[in-house]
Formats: sequence, structure tokens, C-alpha cells
Amino acid sequence: MDDRRLQLKFYETHDGKDVLKCIQCGTCSGSCPLSDKMDYAPRELFALIRDGEMEAVLRSNTQWYCVSCYQCMVRCPQEIPVTDLMYILKQMAIEQGISPKTAKMPDLYMTFYREVLKKGRLTEAMLMIRYGMKHPTDTLSNAFLAVKLLKRRRLEIIPQSIKEPKRISYLKSADSERTETK
Amino acid sequence: MRYGFFPGCAYKTAAGYRESVEALNRALAIQLVEIPDWNCCGATAVFSINSSVALVLSGRLLALADLHGFDEIITVCNACYTTLRKAIHMMEHHPELITEINKHLKTETLQLKRLLPVRHYLDVLANDIPEMRWRKVKQSKSDSDLRVAAYYGCQLTRPWKDQGQPERPDVLEQFLERLGVTVIEHSAKTLCCGASHMIPYAKDCAPLVSRIIREVRKKNGNIIATICPMCQFNLDAGQGRLNIPGTPIAFFTQIVGLALGIDSKDLGIDKLLVPMYKISDNKE
Ligand code: SF4
Ligand code: SF4
Repeated sequence: MDDRRLQLKFYETHDGKDVLKCIQCGTCSGSCPLSDKMDYAPRELFALIRDGEMEAVLRSNTQWYCVSCYQCMVRCPQEIPVTDLMYILKQMAIEQGISPKTAKMPDLYMTFYREVLKKGRLTEAMLMIRYGMKHPTDTLSNAFLAVKLLKRRRLEIIPQSIKEPKRISYLKSADSERTETK
Repeated sequence: MRYGFFPGCAYKTAAGYRESVEALNRALAIQLVEIPDWNCCGATAVFSINSSVALVLSGRLLALADLHGFDEIITVCNACYTTLRKAIHMMEHHPELITEINKHLKTETLQLKRLLPVRHYLDVLANDIPEMRWRKVKQSKSDSDLRVAAYYGCQLTRPWKDQGQPERPDVLEQFLERLGVTVIEHSAKTLCCGASHMIPYAKDCAPLVSRIIREVRKKNGNIIATICPMCQFNLDAGQGRLNIPGTPIAFFTQIVGLALGIDSKDLGIDKLLVPMYKISDNKE
């Protein structure tokens, strides 16, 4: 999809058009705990959306660095649901098959997502193991920690699930449907 | 009031959360019944990938809680709390989503008929338990050198704005003070702990943990009370990377248990990474 079509698609989502209300005050960027790691801080990202630079927006790591702390959202003087828009951008990037240069967060979320789709519950150790196959150093740096947790009987090694995971196979059809980002 | 307990995926391995919640339930005769066959709420991850799946996950949990006759859903995790409320908020504003969700749930003979309220266990303890019951349970004042810094993290008060001030709530402080616990005032109570970004980006998140711990120590606190397994884990384990004196990070339920005079062995306090005996008075 080209930039223009992507921009229209974004505006059609539930709160997408709210970026037009942005006064570029920078409160969101100043409130964000990880803005210094982002390719574009939230204020800048919104300017790019309005300029129609959607490819650059969806390729950026900004939305993936968003931890959903909602700090920007409760402070924005224009009451723009900044965090919700970050979710929309993540979903759009996935839909369009666009991943940022560092794929760590998409990989982590995807691993989480697949586990829950299959089992209905998440086992943190499984998340670490599966994610670790793609990013071994992140898991290895946590190996000492794993030993400490094990000593305190805090490592769950038996995979958790709901009683009959087969019963939730409808999650897979929900997965293929995706209600357009509301 | 029938409380449907939604433990969430991180509860079981959290440092003594389960032990302390169960101890409080026993002491105060709180009936917290686990929602049978509960599923993961999907947290930030699933909403980031696909909101239909996220909505079906929340829908299934709500339908199960209703089916089993519960009046309210009680969580012990900020992420579960806000994820469920976010899903409910979307369903309230777009009732057609409920029809969509039900199409899926039907295959499991479940149906989402009503949207039950979702509350945090802190809210239950602070607001539902009559003063009489606390008084009956509380042993004569035990001397304690704890100076507690309440830490809320992000997803209890935000984005809702109805659980006290979104940036400076005080429900936990007021509640602990009622039980005779010494609390300190500080400005890091709703700062971000790094959430799941701690896994791939531990280095980037170290300053987030550091600014919280330093602020608490500067204000002369010697222990932090958390209300969410992820916050507890990040602040506790995250200190391993910092070069500052260890500050124990407990669950608020453990602190409440101690204040009531419950034996620390029954509160899972030995499971904390930064041990509680490390409480030291050296200010930074
Ligand atoms: S705080 Fe709101 S108005 Fe200000 S730059 Fe951010 S989104 Fe725009
Ligand atoms: S919700 Fe996301 S964008 Fe907003 S302040 Fe928090 S991390 Fe930054």
C-alpha cells in the first residue's frame, strides 16, 4: 500500500483522525519514559502521519518502544488517545508486514500471542525459551536470574494451559478475521 | 458480593503474592473464588498484534465469570486490570463487537451477556472490609522499622482517572496508614517500571528502575509496596544491574500481612530477590 492509502486507512480507524487535533506541544514526548530510544518521539510521529509519511512511521521503532504507560494520554491537552493510536500503528505494521529494523518487541509479542492462542494461558518460562531461540543473548543475560528464581521456587517449568486448549481453537479464526482496528 | 478471582498468568510465580493474598483471605474471611478455567487476558502483547483476538480473550473470561455466578472480577495485576477494562470500554462503545465475540464463544457454548465490573484486590481490601474486621484481626501494635513507599506503576490509575489522581494516587498510602504502617511521600509512585520491555531491553530500562529506587531512598523510604507482579519483578530483579544499596520490593499484601501480625513465613517473604533483612537506614 502506498503512503496515501495507508494514511487514509489510519484516519478511518476509530481515533485515527484525532492526530489532526494535535497542537505539537510535545507533552507526550516529554512524558514518555522511553522517548529517547524511539526513532521519532510521539509528537514527531504524529507530525509524520499528518505529512503522509506512513511508510516511515510504520517502519519506525516508536510504537514498539511504547510500553503502554498511558502517561502521554492522561496529559495530552487535546485529549488525543496517544497510547491507543500506538496500538493501532503496531497492528497496522503487522497487517502490512512491515517490521522495524530491530524486531525484538514484535518477536516478543508474537511469541506471547502464539502461546496464548495455543494454550489459553502464558507460561513465562516458555515465553523466555521461545523468544530466546530468536534472541539468545537476551535470554542468556537472564540465566543467572533464572537460577535465583529456581532457588526460590519461582520458576514454572510445566507449561500452563486452560483445561482443554482445543476448545479455544476459535481464537485462530478470530486471528484470521481481525476486526479492523477500532 | 461474589468475587470472581482472576489470578492471571504471573501470579503463581510472583514472589509470595499468592501466599500473602491467601493469608489475608484466611485472616479476614474474604471469599475469593478462582474463576474456573480462566484464560490469559492477552495483556499488552495481544492488543498490539490483533484486537479481535484480544477482545475474544477478555470476552471469554467475562462470560465464564458470569456463567459461574460472580458479581465482580477481582485482579491482582495492573496489566490484567487495564486490559480487561480496555476491552470492556471498547465493547461498551461498540456493542456490535459483543455480537462478534459471541460468534466465537458459541463454539464453546459460552455467551457474553453482561459486562461485569473489574476491580483490583487493593480496592477490595481498602474499601470492602469493615473496620471492625480489621480491628478484630490486628494484633497489638508490632514494632516495625519499615518506612513504606507505595508504588502503583502505570496501569491502575491510567488511563482511567477514576482510581484517584492518575499521577499521584493515595489509596494505598491511606489504607496502609489506617493499619498503622509508616508510609513516605515521594514522586515516583506512578513512573514506568519498564514492563515487558525489560526482557529485550534490560539496559534501556535500567534507568527507569534506578530513578524509582533512588527517589524512594532519597525520601527515606526503606521498602517499596507494589500492587502488580510485573512491577514487583522489574524493580526487584532490575536492581541486580544497579550499583545502589538493595531496597526490598514487597507486595502490598505482604506489608498488610506483617502489619496484622501474620508470621512472615506465611507471607512468602523469603521469595523476594532483594531480601527483607537488607532494610538499612543509609540514605543516599
Ligand atoms: S501531547 Fe497531545 S497535542 Fe501535544 S504533541 Fe502530544 S499528541 Fe500532540
Ligand atoms: S503510553 Fe507509550 S507513547 Fe505514551 S508515554 Fe507511555 S510509552 Fe510513551
